[in-house]
Amino acid sequence: MSNSYYEFFCPVKVIAGKAALEHIPYELTGLAARRPMIITDKGVRKAGLLEPVITACEESGLEIVAIYDDVPPDSSTTVVRDITAIYRSEKCDSIIAVGGGSSIDTAKAVNILVSEGGDDISKYVGAGVLKRPLKPFFVVPTTAGTGSEVTSVAVIADTGKSVKLPFTSSFLLPNAAIIDPRMTVTLPPHITAATAMDAMTHATEAFTCMAKNPLSDAYATAAIRKISQSLLTVMDNPDDTEGRLELAQASTMAGIAFSNSMVGLVHALGHATGALCHLPHGLCMSLYLPYVLEYNLESIREPLSDLLLYLDGADAYAVTPANRRAEASITAIRRLRDALYKTCELPRTLKETGKVREDQLDAIASLALDDGSIIFNPKEVSLDDARAVLRRAWA
Amino acid sequence: MHTMFARRMKPTALQARRVYVKVMFQVMGRALQAISEVDETVQTEARNLPEGLLFEMMVMPDGPRLIVEHTGDGQLHYHGASAPRPVDLSIQFKHIAHAFLVLSFQEKTAVAFANDRMLVNGDISLAVRMTRILNRLEAFILPRLIATRAVKEYPRSLHLPEKVLSAARIYLKVANQFFETVKAS
Ligand SMILES: [Fe+2]
Repeated sequence: MSNSYYEFFCPVKVIAGKAALEHIPYELTGLAARRPMIITDKGVRKAGLLEPVITACEESGLEIVAIYDDVPPDSSTTVVRDITAIYRSEKCDSIIAVGGGSSIDTAKAVNILVSEGGDDISKYVGAGVLKRPLKPFFVVPTTAGTGSEVTSVAVIADTGKSVKLPFTSSFLLPNAAIIDPRMTVTLPPHITAATAMDAMTHATEAFTCMAKNPLSDAYATAAIRKISQSLLTVMDNPDDTEGRLELAQASTMAGIAFSNSMVGLVHALGHATGALCHLPHGLCMSLYLPYVLEYNLESIREPLSDLLLYLDGADAYAVTPANRRAEASITAIRRLRDALYKTCELPRTLKETGKVREDQLDAIASLALDDGSIIFNPKEVSLDDARAVLRRAWA
Repeated sequence: MHTMFARRMKPTALQARRVYVKVMFQVMGRALQAISEVDETVQTEARNLPEGLLFEMMVMPDGPRLIVEHTGDGQLHYHGASAPRPVDLSIQFKHIAHAFLVLSFQEKTAVAFANDRMLVNGDISLAVRMTRILNRLEAFILPRLIATRAVKEYPRSLHLPEKVLSAARIYLKVANQFFETVKAS
């Protein structure tokens, strides 16, 4: 349609596969960086995931000058200031984030301060404040879900005012994302499942919400195919490095898709539920996805029908009549969800989580209505609509 | 380059487009104030905005603008094109052409967001509430047919008070004048 318009941007170099970590020294040197700092969390260190990164660098004569391994699950302005001080006193010149969403967001915020100066990260809050590239920055994801390695956003809690500060700039994107199957092979089953469903939701919402575009669509469909084909195999064989790599790549591809075409009501509800009931993000995604697709159904019938090919394969697609494919896509997602409940008890309803009370549903609905993602949902959502979806997701 | 130059819009048409955006901002500003006095849905939505919040919609870099204040209890006050103090929330069109697409109802507000036609400066959750108020406004001041194109869903129940109907008539007059000018130029 000649009326349509879109933007697509992803300048992150993706370094993926066997012995990917060993490319870090060469890539860092290529950016004239010699004194990297690692930003990570205690869990990553305990799982022994730092050793291969450090060894890979040392073998090439590149010393890791400083390691900060105490990033909390919800990072804060205080943590960002502390890490910035260490970076400066150790005269570092580049950052390697090793971890999940929190470590990556923290590293993005630290990169703002060490590049632009000052100790007050709140000065840089909002969109378009940064006007030039920051210090060399690499990301090594250790979960396969958030896609933070390819998004231009960071969210940091302001410790003093108990608000969340959003930062948006394409300069927050890392120079490279290093995807090595060694980094996700030890991920416990329920986190593997929840984060993969986060990636599945990124791809599904990117493909069905208002900002969908041909380039994002290509990434989204490829990501959905990889997750559909590999998630249950990996759940049964956690050591399947090939399957792990498929999930990790799918997560990055879904990240590229949604950072360019945004997400919708699943994320709006998930953000609200996370804030009020402290449920993990991936779990919320897995839980809400089928109910929201049902709610949006008549607005997304066409794209949702197309997804059946990627969710269920060519044979299933071919034998399903065109007017039943959208429903069949939802069924395929429900089937995956039920299988995950069987293998690792990933909750299917809010009641099953045991962390949400029925009297909290109204509060979740109102908070979701204020979430930025709701703008991109293909169907306009009223408070009553949000409540109705939550009621269905309850039990 | 030469063909580009030859195909450029005529100056009169460009000027008419700028005038159209300016006048539509005025119509919207007045209508927002009027609607907040009579419509419960808008009042409920506006009550969620902080009291004294100054909202601006403008065209980059320094084009036409519309400034509205939440004076409390769901009431919106139209300030014209100049703010009494720095604004708290700003929705900025990247170009007058993009503002025209939205204000002539060729592109829905949510689609314009999705298409990166505009930026939000300020709290996103406030921008989400403001977008819902703008959707409601569009539905109010437009004939049903055009409104379904402008907003994702036309509100199920609309009672059109006289004050608001007059805003709709102003809109139609402005729109007609615009298209006459463009045709003539
Ligand atoms: Fe997500």
